[in-house]
Amino acid sequence: MTVKAYRLPRSLPEALGLLEEHGPELLVMAGGTVAMPLINEGISLPEAVMGLRLAGLDGLERTGDRLRIGATATLTQLLNQDAVPMLREAARNTASWSIRNMGTVGGNLFTPPPGGDVAVALLALDASVTLASTRGDRVLPLADFLTGFMRNELAEDELLVEIGVPIRSEATAYLKLGRKHANTPAVVTVAVRLEWRRERVADARIALGAVGPHAIRAREAEALLIGTTLEAEAIAAAADAATQGCEPFTDGISTEWYRRRMVGLFVRRALEQLTPGTREGGR
Amino acid sequence: MKIHGSHTMAAPRAAVFAAICDPDALLGVIPGCRAIEQVGDAEYRGEISLRLPGVVGTYRTVVRLLEADPPAYGRLEGQLDGSLGTVTGQATFRLTESGDRTTIDYEGNAVIGGPLARLDARFAEGLAGSLVKQGLRNLSTRLEADPPAGAASGRRQPTREIPA
Repeated sequence: MTVKAYRLPRSLPEALGLLEEHGPELLVMAGGTVAMPLINEGISLPEAVMGLRLAGLDGLERTGDRLRIGATATLTQLLNQDAVPMLREAARNTASWSIRNMGTVGGNLFTPPPGGDVAVALLALDASVTLASTRGDRVLPLADFLTGFMRNELAEDELLVEIGVPIRSEATAYLKLGRKHANTPAVVTVAVRLEWRRERVADARIALGAVGPHAIRAREAEALLIGTTLEAEAIAAAADAATQGCEPFTDGISTEWYRRRMVGLFVRRALEQLTPGTREGGR
Repeated sequence: MKIHGSHTMAAPRAAVFAAICDPDALLGVIPGCRAIEQVGDAEYRGEISLRLPGVVGTYRTVVRLLEADPPAYGRLEGQLDGSLGTVTGQATFRLTESGDRTTIDYEGNAVIGGPLARLDARFAEGLAGSLVKQGLRNLSTRLEADPPAGAASGRRQPTREIPA
C-alpha cells in the first residue's frame, strides 16, 4: 500500500518531533521533484510522508559575510539572489522554470548524479551544512557531508536545515556541459574558485559534477595550481589531474569515455576564464 | 547487478576475517543495520533500514556463509526482503595481507525483484557499491581504533565446506 499519512509540520521542532516519532520509515520530502515521480511510478511506497514546505526552512538571507540558505529555499530563490553570483549561475543551469519553482537547494544535495548541479557550486564555495535533530545541531563542511552515491552523513533522526556559504569577492567560473543548452542533465559540471596573492594562486577549489558517486573536489588538481600564475602548463597539469582523479559513468546522457574527455576540456576552459588578463570580470 | 571492488585497511587479516563473522561487529559496520543475530553455524539474520532520497524502507536480511577458508577467503549468499522488493545474490571475498595491512577484494552478483527492479540499473549498482564501500570504511575505522587483543595473523586453517 502507498501513502496513508501526509504530515505538514509548521515549524522545525514539529518536524523533528515527527521524525523522531515515525523513525526512518518516514519519507521526508521538500520540493518533491525526486520523490513524487518515484511514488507515482510505484517504485517508492512510503506509508507516511512529511512535507517540509511549511516548516519555515525557506529563508535566504545575507548575514555579515555569509549567505544563509534555508534547506527548502527553492532554486528560483537561489536564481534571484545576487550575493553569490556562482550560485545564480548554478541555479540557472539546473532543470526548467517549473522544476526550479518546486525543487529546493537542500533537496538538490540529495539528488544522485548526473543531477545535483548546485552541490558542485556549493563545494567550490566551501559551503557548510547544518544538520538538526532533537539532540541539537551540528555543522559540517559540505565536502564531508557527501559520502557516496545517494549516501551522506545525515543520521536517522536528523534533518538538513541550512546551507551556509561564505561571501567572497574572488572571480569564479561555473561551466556545465549538457546535451542541450538548457533543462538538461549534465555530461559534466565544473565549478572553480581561486584565491590570489600577489599574482599567484594562493588557494584553489575545483569541484566536479556527474563524474563521481556525488559532487567531488578535484583535490590533486587544486594542489597543482597553488603558487602558479595560472600559466598554460599549470592549467594543463590541473586539467590532466582532474581527468585522472574522477570516476565518470555511462548513462543515457553520456558515456564514461566522453565524460572523462570533457572533464579535462572543461576544467581547462574554466581555468582559462580566470586567467589574469582574460578574466571575465568576476561573474 | 554486479559489484566489485577492493579496500585496504590497517589491521591484521585474522582480525578482519573475525569481524566479518561477528554479528556485534557487523551491527556497527553495515550502513542502516538495526539488528543482526547469528542463527546457525554460518547463518545470520538481520534488519536493515535505508533512508534514501525519495525511498525509505526496512529490509529483512539473511546471509549464509557458504564456504570459508579463514582468514583468506569466503563465499556467501544473501537475501534482502522488504516492501519494495527483494535482492538476492552471492559474493566472494579474498583477504590478502601485506605487512600490517589487509586488502579485501570482493565481487558480487545480485538479482533485484519487485518495484525496486524498475530503478535504473546504474542506481542499484551505484547504491550497492556505495553501501559496501561505506561498510568497509566503517570496518577499517572500527578495527584501526580498537585492534582486537591477540589477533594472530597468517595462520591457515583447513577449508570448511558448509552445506547450504
